[in-house]
Amino acid sequence: MVIFERSRKHNMIKAIDIKKTYRVGKVEIAALQAVSLEIKEGEFVSITGSSGSGKSTLMHIIGCLDRPTSGKFFLDDEEVGELKDDALAEIRNKKIGFVFQQFNLLSRSTALRNVELPLIYGEVNRRERIDRARVALERVEMAHRLHHRPNELSGGERQRIAIARALVTNPSLILADEPTGNLDSKTGQAILDLFQKLHQQGHTLIVVTHERYVSGYAQRIIRLRDGLIERDEKTNRP
Amino acid sequence: MKFTENVRGALDGLNANRRRSFLSMLGIVIGIAAVVIIISITQGSQKSISERIEALGTNLINVRPGRRGGARGMRAQTLTDLFTVADGERILKRASAVKRVVPVVNRRLLLQYRDKNAEIQINGVTPEYQDVFNFWVEEGKFISDQDLKSLRTVIVLGQEVATDLFGDGNPVGQSIMVNGPSTRYKFRVIGVMESKGQVMFSHFDEQAFVPLTTAQKRLLQTKHVDSFSIQAKSKETASEATEQIDAILYQKFQDDTKYRIFSQEELLSTMGSVMQTFSIMLVGIAGISLLVGGIGIMNTMLVSVTERTREIGTRMAVGAKRSDILLQFLWESMVLCLVGGVIGIVIGWIGSTIIASIAGWTTIVSFPAIALALGFATVVGLFFGIYPANKASKLDPVEALRYE
Repeated sequence: MVIFERSRKHNMIKAIDIKKTYRVGKVEIAALQAVSLEIKEGEFVSITGSSGSGKSTLMHIIGCLDRPTSGKFFLDDEEVGELKDDALAEIRNKKIGFVFQQFNLLSRSTALRNVELPLIYGEVNRRERIDRARVALERVEMAHRLHHRPNELSGGERQRIAIARALVTNPSLILADEPTGNLDSKTGQAILDLFQKLHQQGHTLIVVTHERYVSGYAQRIIRLRDGLIERDEKTNRP
Repeated sequence: MKFTENVRGALDGLNANRRRSFLSMLGIVIGIAAVVIIISITQGSQKSISERIEALGTNLINVRPGRRGGARGMRAQTLTDLFTVADGERILKRASAVKRVVPVVNRRLLLQYRDKNAEIQINGVTPEYQDVFNFWVEEGKFISDQDLKSLRTVIVLGQEVATDLFGDGNPVGQSIMVNGPSTRYKFRVIGVMESKGQVMFSHFDEQAFVPLTTAQKRLLQTKHVDSFSIQAKSKETASEATEQIDAILYQKFQDDTKYRIFSQEELLSTMGSVMQTFSIMLVGIAGISLLVGGIGIMNTMLVSVTERTREIGTRMAVGAKRSDILLQFLWESMVLCLVGGVIGIVIGWIGSTIIASIAGWTTIVSFPAIALALGFATVVGLFFGIYPANKASKLDPVEALRYE
């Protein structure tokens, strides 16, 4: 039954033979060479690999921050590789929630305001924005910190706010880049537990990490090496 | 993004580094304050100058004979032709826009009272002089028609002349000697004029007035008059009156170099354009300080863009379009300049009030001056914000997010 359910779910991400090359001076560097990949709705995937393996590049393409040099890339059945900057910005706004290693919060703005940010760019009116930001902060158990600024909060709390910011637009995909990299292991565990909870609530999650225990939380681990998928395996996680 | 969000975002951005925002704002503050002060001073002095010109009389037109360059060792300039009383009467009769005509002869003559004397300008005038110049007798009475008809040797003194000759004593009723070029008469003082002070180039308090006929026939032995002071019926008809006078005089002299017509209106507009040139020049100088202020703003904005590269990346990642980033930084520099502009206006206002009370100048802080100053500030903010804002909006989101 569960298997049947899953097979019915459509591909959130479909990458067909994507390549990404950078030019450094006269030398061309291939960050990704021919990566094909499918990630279904509701999956919790970890992308790992050593530095230089191309995992950041892949994440940027999945996050619509960058376009592949060649190949086709579909997000939610829409081909985004050819889209213009503004259209990409809109897709990032509506469909993707980012969580960064450095949290990337606006340091002078309150938690609430930080969480509102994507909704501001999404032209949501003020009242609805505040309501939704509150709900998102409640979901990450930060309802008691609405009016605190990031410098008044601990690292774990900051990351929770960043996660709330990623959740607030109700995105198709949450994309986390080394979300525990700046946290001690205990706080990191708590954040991963939160991801686990989000996964159980049906969110699609992709976590880019080089830490083994982080990828251990995922259902599926994609391992990159030298711009190619080295291994793509399921774990026994639900 | 909505307007309020833009402004709020801009204020947040500026708040983030208050001291730097304030320092970079200073150039704008000083520039705008200078603009406001300069405009208020020039407008104030323009107003006081026009008030003085208007105090000269109401709707005044002055007609004088033309001048010709001297030749063969003669005086440098000689009068081309001379007017007579009849010319004035003709003007009054035929120019419909003219209300009053006062023929005037004047000469610098020596006045004597006991052991004191004064060489002053004596004007031979008619009783209407008072109305035309809006200049009235204060003590005693002015020259009457009867004085004119009977060639009476009566004199009305200007305030300062009276003080010089009589000190604190009452001059009315006293006799003084007036020395003409070849004659000497005893005049009875019948009045003292009010104080009017200096208006443009003539000092009214240092003059004395006698009946025109007395001046012509007794003191100066002349049939001519030196000039006509003519009052138009109203402000609106002043230029019409000028044209009519011109036509009448041309008919007589058949040569427009033989007479000169000076209208108050013309004087006012001349002064106005002089003041305007002056104020444009000064505002130009203030504009340079605004330019320097603007460059300061641009520098600050560029630093800010670099410092906030990661923030820009984050904003792009959560859905900011390039235009949103562009607008954010443009608003920031505009708000910076506008806040600076408002502070500058307040300082300029206070400054011009202080100048007014210390230097005793008239200063006017007018709405157009404030609007102009704010306009300037906005333009500076826009102009110098474009480059940094454009730079911010062109950042690559991936690079921006990676920026340390």
